[in-house]
Amino acid sequence: MTTPRFARLPFGLRFALRDLLGDPRGFGVFIACVAIGVAAISGVSGLSRSLAQGLSREGRTILGGDASFSVVARELSAEQRAFLGSRGRLSEIDLMRAMARRDDGQAAMVEIKAVDPESYPVFGSLESDPALPLATALETRDGVAGALVDPALLARLDVRSGDVVEIGDARFRLRANLINEPDKLAGGVGFGPRVMISRAALARTGLVTPGAVVRHVTRVTLVPEASDAALRDFMAAADAAFPQAGWETRSRDAVSPAFSHNLDRFAQLLTLVALTALVAGGAGVANAVQGFVDRKREQFAVLKALGGSGRRVFAIALMQVMAAAIVAICLGLALGALIPGIAADALRQVAQLPVAATPDVAGAALGTLYGLLVTLMFSLAPLGRVHEVPVAALLRDDPRPDRLWRYRLAAAGAGLSLLALAMVSAADAKVGAVYIGAAIGAVAALRGAAFLVMRLARALPHPRDPRLRLALANIWRPKSLTPALIVSIGVVQTLLIALSLVEGAIHRELERADAGEIPNFFFIDVPKEEKEAFRSFLEGLVPAGQIAHVPMMRGRIVAVKGVPVDKIAVADDAKWALDGDRGVTFSATVPVNSQLAAGAWWPEDYAGPPRVSLESKVAEGIGVRLGDEITVNVMGREIVATVANLRKLDWRSYGINFIMVFSPNVFRAAPYTELFTIAYGAPPGRDAVDQRIVRETAKRFPQVVSIRVREAIAAIDKIAGQLALAARAAAVIAIFTAILALASALASSQRTRLHDAVVLKTLGATRSWLLWTYGLEFALVGLVATIIAIAAGAGAAYFVTKSLMKIDFVFPAATVAAIAVATLLVTIGLGLAGTWRVLARRPGPELREL
Amino acid sequence: MEQVIELADLHLTLGAGAARVHVLKGVTLSVARGETVGLVGPSGSGKSTLLMTLAGLERPDAGTVRVGGHDLNALSEDALARFRGSNIGVVFQSFQLIPTMTALENVAVPLELAGRSDPFARARTELEAVGLGDRLAHYPGQLSGGEQQRVALARALAPDPLILAADEPTGNLDSETGAAIADLIFAQQKRRGATLVLVTHDPLLAARCARRVSLRSGRIESDDAR
Repeated sequence: MTTPRFARLPFGLRFALRDLLGDPRGFGVFIACVAIGVAAISGVSGLSRSLAQGLSREGRTILGGDASFSVVARELSAEQRAFLGSRGRLSEIDLMRAMARRDDGQAAMVEIKAVDPESYPVFGSLESDPALPLATALETRDGVAGALVDPALLARLDVRSGDVVEIGDARFRLRANLINEPDKLAGGVGFGPRVMISRAALARTGLVTPGAVVRHVTRVTLVPEASDAALRDFMAAADAAFPQAGWETRSRDAVSPAFSHNLDRFAQLLTLVALTALVAGGAGVANAVQGFVDRKREQFAVLKALGGSGRRVFAIALMQVMAAAIVAICLGLALGALIPGIAADALRQVAQLPVAATPDVAGAALGTLYGLLVTLMFSLAPLGRVHEVPVAALLRDDPRPDRLWRYRLAAAGAGLSLLALAMVSAADAKVGAVYIGAAIGAVAALRGAAFLVMRLARALPHPRDPRLRLALANIWRPKSLTPALIVSIGVVQTLLIALSLVEGAIHRELERADAGEIPNFFFIDVPKEEKEAFRSFLEGLVPAGQIAHVPMMRGRIVAVKGVPVDKIAVADDAKWALDGDRGVTFSATVPVNSQLAAGAWWPEDYAGPPRVSLESKVAEGIGVRLGDEITVNVMGREIVATVANLRKLDWRSYGINFIMVFSPNVFRAAPYTELFTIAYGAPPGRDAVDQRIVRETAKRFPQVVSIRVREAIAAIDKIAGQLALAARAAAVIAIFTAILALASALASSQRTRLHDAVVLKTLGATRSWLLWTYGLEFALVGLVATIIAIAAGAGAAYFVTKSLMKIDFVFPAATVAAIAVATLLVTIGLGLAGTWRVLARRPGPELREL
Repeated sequence: MEQVIELADLHLTLGAGAARVHVLKGVTLSVARGETVGLVGPSGSGKSTLLMTLAGLERPDAGTVRVGGHDLNALSEDALARFRGSNIGVVFQSFQLIPTMTALENVAVPLELAGRSDPFARARTELEAVGLGDRLAHYPGQLSGGEQQRVALARALAPDPLILAADEPTGNLDSETGAAIADLIFAQQKRRGATLVLVTHDPLLAARCARRVSLRSGRIESDDAR
């Protein structure tokens, strides 16, 4: 005699496992929906953890030392260098933008990195093609210095390795291509190709003039090696020794707080989209469990009739569902664990981000919890029927929902736990709550709409056309597809419409440049003595151009109301204003593109103590009101200024905008430079005009950097495009699970459809007649989903563009309509494909089953 | 006399693998216009399958099925559906009404599918004829079993079919209601002159047919006409 399977297990578990293994049908979609969601959530978490781990492990290499101290438009004082040098080895680099020119005047903006070849890089290794020792690559031969260049510059200037270009007053031979610099990430995003030269050569360019925007970075490698605590002590000691240094400091354990912050936020966004995928797949879970209960209805009834209590039978059913959920979660975690490894190579190649694939227990736990909660949320109500419904009613498939409210309440509890978990685990609880609230709101709106549509379809007078009549009847009938169709189509369309509207808005920014709404060029580092000469030069080049210019320096807010900025609470959206040096100007009158929001502008001949005008959002974010004092370090000099007024800025003008504008008397004698803009729209042959401006400027004013706004926006667009790609990938997962849910809903409604189709075919209905009927049903329901999706997608895109990206919201009706119609057609097609099997059946064999 | 149903050497096998059953084993049968035939036999003898086959709901593996002069095997699935809609009315044991349509709409459906000009007026007349003139707007779920079967009968008769095929039409009803339905079936058949083929386990119901055909193990065991 063979031993029964699982004989040692308690009865309930034994029965559940035996039954599940004996008949695992119908759990495919369930497992796919849960596994995909769990994989996405745990994968995103694992990836962000691996990135953070990579950043921290390679912190010294990325930073180029244990700590860095950077200042703009000046160098550290001798005392400061001596202090830092007494604790370790120093290595210095200079970063600035400049123009590289060919002999014939053709020019391009470049990002210069000037290093000491003897000490650079301190950690990691530099790669060049051909591989050359750095000292050899950068050495000066016959009066021409060496340079390593990003291959992009070769294409932009149409030069080759070995050619000579001019930067400022010096000539450089392009000795090799720069393939990788170990400390690239610490430099932030650049708009031009990198050119690496020696610091000695930079000095010979004549570009490092007073007021020129040169970032001077001093890196310290502590000797002997220091622990994290010792490093923090060292940095605190440096700040204490030079409280007015105004430097920007970074340490190896927080190489780029802004990058880490953005990484956290982006990971959070992806997690939320992944969670949407899980919730969208929840409909699939619900359908699968409903199908499971329907299929096992008679078996549960028999079990109850044989003496099984409602509780025991419910427990058996729940165990089967949870067993399937655990299989799905394990599968999801296994898939999720692969994501950091797969993404690591791509991230290293595309963005040179260091990814150290790290086991992520917290992410796995989070994925597991989400998976379990979503399963409970969507399965408790259907499973409740097993417990509550009497045997006879189960056998009759009587849909009376006796006391099911208890299970609905428990499911709502699981939903609330999900919301709480999303809030607790989100980097920003408010964003988490808003997003999940909006997602639940959208799904609830879709469900509510489904309910209303079903009521309306039932209340409508019965149309004469039998196809329309049957379509309407299918919309309201019990176990109708309507809720599943509306939610699935709605989720898919909302995501697609929102994504396309946001991307459309970004591209529209590029078009604005063509329409002349924003400047064509920025020119930085125009020496103040050459202001008039440069203006005449520009007027000569483009007589119809609109020229604007203001004085410009770099400054850093170091204290607010006397309190150092690292000790004050700052709103998230104002942190950028304190993160490093910002442009600073002065003006006798209210600047263009600005609007006074509070306070009054100073008299044109004002000569009193320093006054400053702040951008109102930043002022609010750092807790500053009219009359408060802020301390700003400008080129090593600390200025304490009273806030005289607040301004609203039109950032989107891409014109001259400064968050800090001082009264003119503060800087009149300072060594500042002028910032120029010119706007001339898109005249015929604009590219030629653009190129002439770059060429002539580089020739006549070698120290002036020309920045083509179109190129800058395109660079930002490229970054935004990469982020959008990640968001789109996450959205595709959500769309995929929504479609899976739709497929499972179609499968679960197959039996009722089969009944009607077979009876109608018996009465003379052809397949095309039935196809029309189902097509009408899907189209009517899809149309409702489309209307809601357009509203929800446009609302989401409006929020993202206006509130988060601060750009214009545009609504290209034709594009939206095209997306909506295409999605609708695809869904109708999928729905009809799903029912084709039903239509193709011959009535005879089916009638035996009915 | 004109033969409206001509079945010759029908074979049909159902199921697959171990569950494969040879249900019809060379059945040959002719039925004349206006005849009433009772198909009887034990469970599994093939009587319902035979009814499905002559009603064009099942295709045989071998043999020919001619109904009203048409070879059903030669018709496509859709052509067969159209043929059924106009020529064959089917009544099932479990009624098979469309739950989301009222009694009137259920009866009107075959008329609408056949493109008749007055489907609702005709459906109303048919429902009145089976005594349900006051239940026109009721859904199947709001009707008793006997009432549902009367709707199904009205639906089957509405297009004035050549043949009325009834598969245990009283099987799901109590004896009193069943008897009333049987009376209706025979009364309507007589009034219209339709050919009736009726599958039943009930010897009394079978006895009301002019001809009884008994099946056993997929073969005709006896036929009154022989």
